[in-house]
Amino acid sequence: MSDREITVTVNGTVHTALVEPRRTLADFLRHTLGLTATHLGCEHGVCGACTVLLDGEAVRSCLALAVHADGHEVTTVEGIAEPGQMHPVQTALWESGAFQCGFCTPGFVMTIYGMERDARAGRGCPRSRTEIREELSGNICRCSGYQAIVDGAEAALTAATGSASGSETRR
Amino acid sequence: MSSSVVGGLVGARIKRREDVRILTGAGRYIDDVHERNTLTCHFVRSTLPHARISGCDVAAAREMEGVVAVITGDEMAQFTNPINLGAPIPGLNSPSFTALATGTVRYVGEPVALVVASDRYVAEDAASLIEIDYDPLEPVVSTTQALADGAPQLFDEVPGNVIHSGEIAVGDIDAAFAEADHVVTDRLDQHRWTCAPMEGRGGVATYDRSTGVLTYEASTQTSHLMRLLVAGFINQPIHLMRVVTSDIGGSFGLKFSMYREDVALCAAAKHLGVSLKWVEDRNENLTAGGSARDETLTIDAAVKADGTLLGFRVNMVMNHGAYPVMPPAPVVTGIAGHMLPGPYRVPAYRFTSTAACTNKASYISLRGPWAVETLVRERMMDLIAKRVGISPVEVRQRNLIPVTEQPTMSGAGFTLDGVTAAETFARLTEMIDLDEIRAQQEKARAEGRLVGFGVGTFYEPAPGTPEFWGLIGFPFSAEPVRLRVEPDGHITAFTTQIPHGQGHETTLAQVIADEMGVAFDDVRIVFGDTDATVFTMIGTGGSKAGMMATGGAMVAAREVRARVLDIAAHMLEASPSDLQIENSVISVKGAPGSAVPLADLAMGCYMAPGMMPQGVDLNLETTAHYDGENGGWGQGSHACWVEIDQETGKIAVTRYLVVEDCGKIINPAVVDGQVIGGIAMGLGGMLLEHAAYGEDGQYLAGTFMDYLMPSAPEVPEIEIEHLEYQAPTMVGSRGVGEGGTVLAPAALLNAVDDAFGQVEAGRITATPLTPTKVLQALGVIED
Amino acid sequence: MKPASFEYWTPTSVDEAVKVLSGLDDPGDAKVMAGGQSLMPLLNLRLSQPLHVVDLNGVDGMADIRREGDTLTVGAMCRQRAVERSAEVSAAAPLVVEALGNVGHPAIRNRGTVGGSIAHADPAAEMPAVALCLDAEMVAQGPAGGRVIPATEFFEGFLTTALTEEEVLTGIRFTADGPGSGSAFAEVARRHGDFAMAGVAVHVRLDGDTVAQARIAVSGVGLTPVRATGAESSLRGATAAEDAFAAAAAATSSALRPATDLHASGAYRTHVVGVLVRRALRTATDRARGNR
Ligand SMILES: Cc1cc2nc3c(=O)[nH]c(=O)nc-3n(C[C@H](O)[C@H](O)[C@H](O)COP(=O)(O)OP(=O)(O)OC[C@H]3O[C@@H](n4cnc5c(N)ncnc54)[C@H](O)[C@@H]3O)c2cc1C
Ligand code: FES
Ligand code: FES
Repeated sequence: MSDREITVTVNGTVHTALVEPRRTLADFLRHTLGLTATHLGCEHGVCGACTVLLDGEAVRSCLALAVHADGHEVTTVEGIAEPGQMHPVQTALWESGAFQCGFCTPGFVMTIYGMERDARAGRGCPRSRTEIREELSGNICRCSGYQAIVDGAEAALTAATGSASGSETRR
Repeated sequence: MSSSVVGGLVGARIKRREDVRILTGAGRYIDDVHERNTLTCHFVRSTLPHARISGCDVAAAREMEGVVAVITGDEMAQFTNPINLGAPIPGLNSPSFTALATGTVRYVGEPVALVVASDRYVAEDAASLIEIDYDPLEPVVSTTQALADGAPQLFDEVPGNVIHSGEIAVGDIDAAFAEADHVVTDRLDQHRWTCAPMEGRGGVATYDRSTGVLTYEASTQTSHLMRLLVAGFINQPIHLMRVVTSDIGGSFGLKFSMYREDVALCAAAKHLGVSLKWVEDRNENLTAGGSARDETLTIDAAVKADGTLLGFRVNMVMNHGAYPVMPPAPVVTGIAGHMLPGPYRVPAYRFTSTAACTNKASYISLRGPWAVETLVRERMMDLIAKRVGISPVEVRQRNLIPVTEQPTMSGAGFTLDGVTAAETFARLTEMIDLDEIRAQQEKARAEGRLVGFGVGTFYEPAPGTPEFWGLIGFPFSAEPVRLRVEPDGHITAFTTQIPHGQGHETTLAQVIADEMGVAFDDVRIVFGDTDATVFTMIGTGGSKAGMMATGGAMVAAREVRARVLDIAAHMLEASPSDLQIENSVISVKGAPGSAVPLADLAMGCYMAPGMMPQGVDLNLETTAHYDGENGGWGQGSHACWVEIDQETGKIAVTRYLVVEDCGKIINPAVVDGQVIGGIAMGLGGMLLEHAAYGEDGQYLAGTFMDYLMPSAPEVPEIEIEHLEYQAPTMVGSRGVGEGGTVLAPAALLNAVDDAFGQVEAGRITATPLTPTKVLQALGVIED
Repeated sequence: MKPASFEYWTPTSVDEAVKVLSGLDDPGDAKVMAGGQSLMPLLNLRLSQPLHVVDLNGVDGMADIRREGDTLTVGAMCRQRAVERSAEVSAAAPLVVEALGNVGHPAIRNRGTVGGSIAHADPAAEMPAVALCLDAEMVAQGPAGGRVIPATEFFEGFLTTALTEEEVLTGIRFTADGPGSGSAFAEVARRHGDFAMAGVAVHVRLDGDTVAQARIAVSGVGLTPVRATGAESSLRGATAAEDAFAAAAAATSSALRPATDLHASGAYRTHVVGVLVRRALRTATDRARGNR
């Protein structure tokens, strides 16, 4: 019904926009701001393709409203490295040949990016391949069979924990 | 890898080029396409499986702000032609239908009306105001119902609801059974499951009133086929129709066919003179996008006392759903029928099939659409082993045809040549120790644990042979590649393949770069756009690319390379056979000072042909076709270990081993990805996924909360061993995309049966292997 | 798959939220939004089309975790992930932490709230069963003020609770575990992170090797989570060993008549609940022995 004005910091840029309250955060990013890296694979919270960071925590952008981001910070795949560059998480996934069609990819990158940040901050992260698989269970990939994604995540997290001290394993 | 990589690209683990845009979120999937002033479409869909439409009130929807048009089925029929996706296959009753339903709806999810609006939110608001009155008809859900006497008829043109029935007969089947020491019988009801790529179907249709050109950017595996079919159904001259594809978020067979939604969207765009987008949401995709498998097979095997096969007698009934898609049902039953005897000696064979139409969504292709043949056959091999008292390894060893005994005839009556299933199986048996496995199982049982082990082997047309496809009645067409050396010496190649995860932009560039002596980054692969690529009926599918597109790229590159060498031979005053191209420089072997850069030569050919050598072909662009020679086969053998929780019925796949042979490997990372992804899909299909219908014809798995695809913890680590049998063809590579999905269900079910056998449990003959069914088979709970 | 329109309200206090709800012509036309992890899928699928959405995300003071004496109060708007990581909750009510690990996936729990999970009252969900097992108390506020609803009276039916349409759940009170107590949560789901086919929450207090008190709640077997009262009384006074666990399992299963759906048959659920009861009792009693 009546639109709301919201101010959201997306990838460091402050955006002010008038949105319908019913508009999802995903649609706001994709269609209002034209940031189409965030994908929609199910729109009911299962596939994880729409994962973004909201104030640093991984969330489903299909299960949040744009108005929920008012006054908050959102990070999408477009914002984790300079244009034309890759973040170490992306490089690790590239080297492991993680993905095929790429539709799930932004969601995995953001989930692993969130884990990697925790690891670097010494907050602990999954270490074993089994733990990594469990931590990634909220992201569905139909193409890859996951093995090469786990390879890439393992490499990225190992590199990140190597650079952090006092980190612990978290379930 | 960077442009410094020159030579030796084929076979190397080159990082995929497409990953740069995929990983950075710069891909262009269908919902990312924003043409100027694009409007959004939303389909209103049937809520009943079978009903007459008695009324359709769209007035309130039309009046809504933001709604541009609401088109009903009858209105759509005025500017589209009836759709018929039949093929000239004897006995095929392929019904015609309209883009939007007119008169009768035949499955839950059938499109009934189209809403065009400013955005998807508004379109869905308007859709909720549309009132459709239905007079329910009796739904026909199972094939038993469809084929029963007096069953409701779905279509006048399909008597008895039989879309097609077929037969294959080779050898003297009656004699085989008369001679048999044992007759072993089995049955399988394979449930419906589906492709569910992470991106559903969709497209953006843009009609340019000034030129009359309709451009359809679509998520499809087959752009030329889409163009040909849609143009015909919407009365658009084909030369004024262009189909474009960009990134595709997976397909697995779903996006092989053209669908009625494509026709409706393009027709509406033309009718309204606008740009229209339709993006299938997940509920639509699961409900209306069609689903796969859903077939019932019975099999009798005639065997000798030592386990030697004498013959198979098989009947297959396919639940076709209501409306045909591409490819037609007999192509699927035909491939299944011809592949079923497998890589074994089968002296006599009889296969009958019936495709019956029902009030379900269409039966669509799914990664190795014929795969049920492998599942049924490989389970049968284990049953035979048990009956005659030999191991599952031995029964296969006794019946497999080694490559050294080929060419020979397959059980289904065509030439087998270069099939190395036996060799993959031999390698697999070297890698496992069956006695040790049995000892471990006994130990586990003593601890109260139940551990099963299963194997399987198969071969598949990847791409198959002209003879084989002739029997199926489907074209085995040559694969064209257009290739151009640009004025600066870089290379642009146009493939008719439409990658959606297979990495063709990388693998074909590897092949061409090696052939042309240029760097990987100097080659660009263009795909999808029918304005740029060469016409062929089939884009990507049927594990064709490994051999056919590779061959096309090689033939085109060699043709242009020969011209380049001819021109350079004149310039360098040498014989072409003494020349080499390295790092984009043509030089005389052994005399590096005598050289000309490819860029200079190309610039000369385009800009100053008069100053170039005369009497040689200066055209650096060619379209070449690779005929596929005698084709080839993919094959592999799998071993699967499971542990079954006898209290909860949960099956854990604890180890999985693959030996595969797709010939020469162009990029190991790509091949491994295809194998592992395929196996994950096959395991998920058997353990978790179910595109289930209720007895009332309602669809029960319309969200990912109910349609369960495996996530990372459900998929085991997969170990892969490669054999690289090189057939005496120009292209040593063959396809690899489908085999994992074809064989994994068989290896898994054999492992589960093996576990069940240790505790005298029953067998599951109706998939999927839910925990409930596992406990029923174990006798823990009642049916 | 896009939500229908609604009027959107952003109260900043519980009082204001209640005022918004009670001020509507029909509070039944409104939905309270917490983490949205259950509500948003329903809105997107248009299975729920409220005319008003009253968003609690901007309400102050609803996300605190407080321990006063033996009472642990978890604010309704506490994110599941925060509760899962809370040392205070882990010390006082480890069952809550253990069960939360089974709720969806980390990204769901980053937004989903404990209060939302309980107010949603999905019979297959973990938190309602945990609340029932721990005899938690739901603290609600409505136009007439606050009230406390015991868990046994809270879950009334499928996705239906004792909250009125004008009430907001503000917090959940748990009694902190004392010495000799142990708890465990066990479930079977088709996939990692899915809603379970069935789940069992167990809390025991041991006196030596004797069960002084046992509480068992079962999820996924009916319209609400249920207490296995027969099993609880069979355990009281029994020696904490396999025989008693088996009897409790049988007593739990025999009292259930769960329905069949796509994921499991009723018979499966009946059976597997027994398995889970035994497994959870083993773990809970082991933990109780280690907690003297
Ligand atoms: C993919 C996926 C998997 C999931 N798996 C699980 C699982 O395994 N187990 C599980 O338990 N849950 C699961 N969930 C649901 C998740 O845990 C939800 O977060 C939770 O059930 C609801 O919490 P919420 O804060 O998101 O509430 P919301 O979605 O915001 O609200 C849910 C309902 O509760 C009402 N409500 C919420 N808060 C209050 C309040 N304070 N006062 C009054 N009414 C209120 C709302 O009006 C609404 O009707 C899953 C969700 C998804 C998307
Ligand atoms: S699109 Fe958000 S979880 Fe699938
Ligand atoms: S790469 Fe296709 S879904 Fe993951």
